[in-house]
Amino acid sequence: MSMIEFRQTTKRFGAHTVLHPLDLGIESGEVAVIIGPSGSGKSTMLRCINVLETISDGDLRVDDISVLGASRDVRRIRLEAGMVFQQFNLFPNLTAIQNVMFGPIRARGRSKAEAREIAAALLQKVGLAERMNHYPSQLSGGQQQRVAIARALAVEPKVMLFDEPTSALDPELRQEVLKVMQTLATEGMTMVVVTHEMSFAKKVGSRLLFLDAGHVVHDGNPVDLLSAPPSERFRDFLQHID
Amino acid sequence: MSFDWTAITAALPELLEGLELTILIAIAGLIGGTIVGVLTAIGLNYGNWLVAAPAQAYVAFIRGTPIVVQVMFVYFALPIMLGIRLSSTSAAIITLIVNSGAYTAEIVRGALDSVPVGLREAGLAMGLSFRKVLAYVIAPIAFRRALPAMGNQVVAVVKDTSIFLVIGVGELTRRGQEIMSENFRAVEIWTAVALIYLVVISLLAFSLRVIERRSRLP
Repeated sequence: MSMIEFRQTTKRFGAHTVLHPLDLGIESGEVAVIIGPSGSGKSTMLRCINVLETISDGDLRVDDISVLGASRDVRRIRLEAGMVFQQFNLFPNLTAIQNVMFGPIRARGRSKAEAREIAAALLQKVGLAERMNHYPSQLSGGQQQRVAIARALAVEPKVMLFDEPTSALDPELRQEVLKVMQTLATEGMTMVVVTHEMSFAKKVGSRLLFLDAGHVVHDGNPVDLLSAPPSERFRDFLQHID
Repeated sequence: MSFDWTAITAALPELLEGLELTILIAIAGLIGGTIVGVLTAIGLNYGNWLVAAPAQAYVAFIRGTPIVVQVMFVYFALPIMLGIRLSSTSAAIITLIVNSGAYTAEIVRGALDSVPVGLREAGLAMGLSFRKVLAYVIAPIAFRRALPAMGNQVVAVVKDTSIFLVIGVGELTRRGQEIMSENFRAVEIWTAVALIYLVVISLLAFSLRVIERRSRLP
């Protein structure tokens, strides 16, 4: 059984099919990088995994829990699949450490003291221990995104979903976020990453998925795919990225 | 005609008694109106149409009719329809709760709407139920966004209590009118009444500004 299993998963918005029937398994420990032109369905595919989008047809199972289940099942999936957003989405009324403590307290029912311990350790890990009492507005974009990663990790997920985590950042701030993600990957975290960072895909990814118009066109080893693009479409796309 | 200060000092005890009732009605109206308003706003924003449609009708009905008509309806028509007795003060409080609730609902609805969708998604993505997201993610931010408009609503409610003189509630304005009809010192009495409102409302406005400043985000 795969960690994440797409079974004829289909997503439509009205008459428009964003994701054509998709069969795909992502195994525990994999770092799957999803790339593709805008509007190809990358983010939708990711958001279907933690049910921020409901699928239109087929099934999608996360750790053998179906996204079609009752709301209790949906919440179980979300506890297991942490999400990092393009726009960080930190709670502006909470400090960095309060943001990270939020999940353990509200989603996992931990005590404040436990949550504080978890949060402090995670902020340390993402290199923001000395910023823990800052509000999001007092942090740079890169720092905010690292807090957001810590916040997602604090819920103790089995999978981490990244939705273009560096797209809203200035180029010089991207590396600090990518480095944290790389560390996570080395520790064996299962990750699904939607990104335009080809160097990250090559260096950290264990698998590369190329999406185009709602189809997974290529699925394979990142180094192989990127060094010898198997299709004209893919070659075109790579040229436009650089 | 000279300004007669003794007319004011003589009237003051009775005016302050009126003020007491004004404040009582205003506080009851504000607390009740806020509860009704928040619930209505949640129904408007997140309820299905069975909840949202009546909420919409309620807001439209209240905003589309004068408060004087509303209080006349509650005091004179409602008791006949329901076969009950209602004191003028109760009628005033009920009217104010229902009236302020509708305006508060619009304020809260706007505040809830202004909270970025991404924050809601961040809360949901952590495995929280929507109720928890509403309580712990959306509400704290919506509260801050609602404060300036709620300040206006608080002031409006205090002033709206003066309308209840039409059903004989002995609040501040009514007391002023009664005293004036006895001594005919219109200038003194209405000056005094106006100043009392001004002081109370200025104090309120000031405390609201303090709350606003304290809850401001860095």
